[in-house]
Amino acid sequence: MRAFPPLVLCAAILAAAYAGIGRAESMDAAAAGGLQAKISYCKDCHGPAAQGYRGYFPIPRLAGQQTEYLENQLRAFIEHRRTNNIMFNVAHTLSPAMIEGLAAHFRHLEPAPIGGAPRQLVAAGKKIFEDGVPDANIAACAACHGPDATGSGEIPRLAGQLYPYLIKTLTNWGRERGQNPTQPDISAVMSPVAHSLNKAQIEEVAAFVSYLK
Amino acid sequence: MLVCWTAVFAVVFATAGHAEDKGAVAKRDVQAKLAYCEVCHGVSAVGFRGYYPIPRLAGQQTEYLENQLQAFVERRRTNNIMFNVGHVLSPAMIASLAANFHDLNPKPLGGAPKDLVAGGKKIFEDGIPAADVPACSSCHGPDAKGNGAFPRLAGQLFDYVTSKLKNWDKERGQNPSQPDTSALMQPIAHKLNDAQIKAVAAYLSYLE
Repeated sequence: MRAFPPLVLCAAILAAAYAGIGRAESMDAAAAGGLQAKISYCKDCHGPAAQGYRGYFPIPRLAGQQTEYLENQLRAFIEHRRTNNIMFNVAHTLSPAMIEGLAAHFRHLEPAPIGGAPRQLVAAGKKIFEDGVPDANIAACAACHGPDATGSGEIPRLAGQLYPYLIKTLTNWGRERGQNPTQPDISAVMSPVAHSLNKAQIEEVAAFVSYLK
Repeated sequence: MLVCWTAVFAVVFATAGHAEDKGAVAKRDVQAKLAYCEVCHGVSAVGFRGYYPIPRLAGQQTEYLENQLQAFVERRRTNNIMFNVGHVLSPAMIASLAANFHDLNPKPLGGAPKDLVAGGKKIFEDGIPAADVPACSSCHGPDAKGNGAFPRLAGQLFDYVTSKLKNWDKERGQNPSQPDTSALMQPIAHKLNDAQIKAVAAYLSYLE
């Protein structure tokens, strides 16, 4: 196959670049279709109403999540603050406007929790969530995540989150979050808490929040 | 001989007493507890915006900190989370925590509307004589550093100060059998309107 002459190649690149700019400027119409396509792509893994899904990995609920948290996590994947190869690849193609559109969409979904956690752990988990474990220097989850676990800003909603996702995330906090030493982030706040909780306490608090609506 | 034994006993008892005061709270335990406090109150206890605005403790008066921790335990001040935090703390631990926080001096967290600061400064320094609101500085000091049981307000979170002043009656002095110094602030909080509360809170939040 014959190579393109350099001048034609340059023209093609410029044309593509201008087309790109044009698209970005008239975002509205194109974006509406693009956003819907991207939302359904997210839901392939995160569940039809973004209520979460048990794939090979527990895939978290995004429904009702704080927009600041969602936006920060998508950036965290891109910036390797949060390590997850699949989500790095998902996120690094998203424009800032698309990230904002997705976060706003998921924020307003309210499916019932997916359930499935051991019911007998719920009462003990409620106590940890509301009171903490003062003797073990474990702060009350409610202080930052709110009395109904709905979160606030960059602090995530936990209500209705998947039991196995919460367990995995709390157990591996130090290996998954705040992984880019040049960009320390708000995940550092949670690090001593996750570290202080033992396995039984993690399971209890995860069971409790997984049933919250 | 008798005198000698008396002296020995005196030394032994003195040492025992000394060990009890200082030894009741190991440095390691204080450090662990401070780290726990800072989970919610922010690095260097500068304050943190969790679900609730969580107050700055840095530079706070030790007497005020100790009194508030006791107030949570005695239900003079209602806050379920802080009740649970407070009721496991020994008096020696409370004293150590208060001393540690008093010595911290981070820059204020900031974030309040700057356009309110000038109006707030005037209220803080002059009060609102026409509305019988006294000058805040007369008790909290010209730099809002507080004094003893009067809290430091300098650098306190805008949204925290706002919510305290609006809810004073519902949060402070809640145990009728134990009236406390919070009663002093009650009429003042009551007389300040929303705009005045925001103005004075904005001013304080930027003070170092």
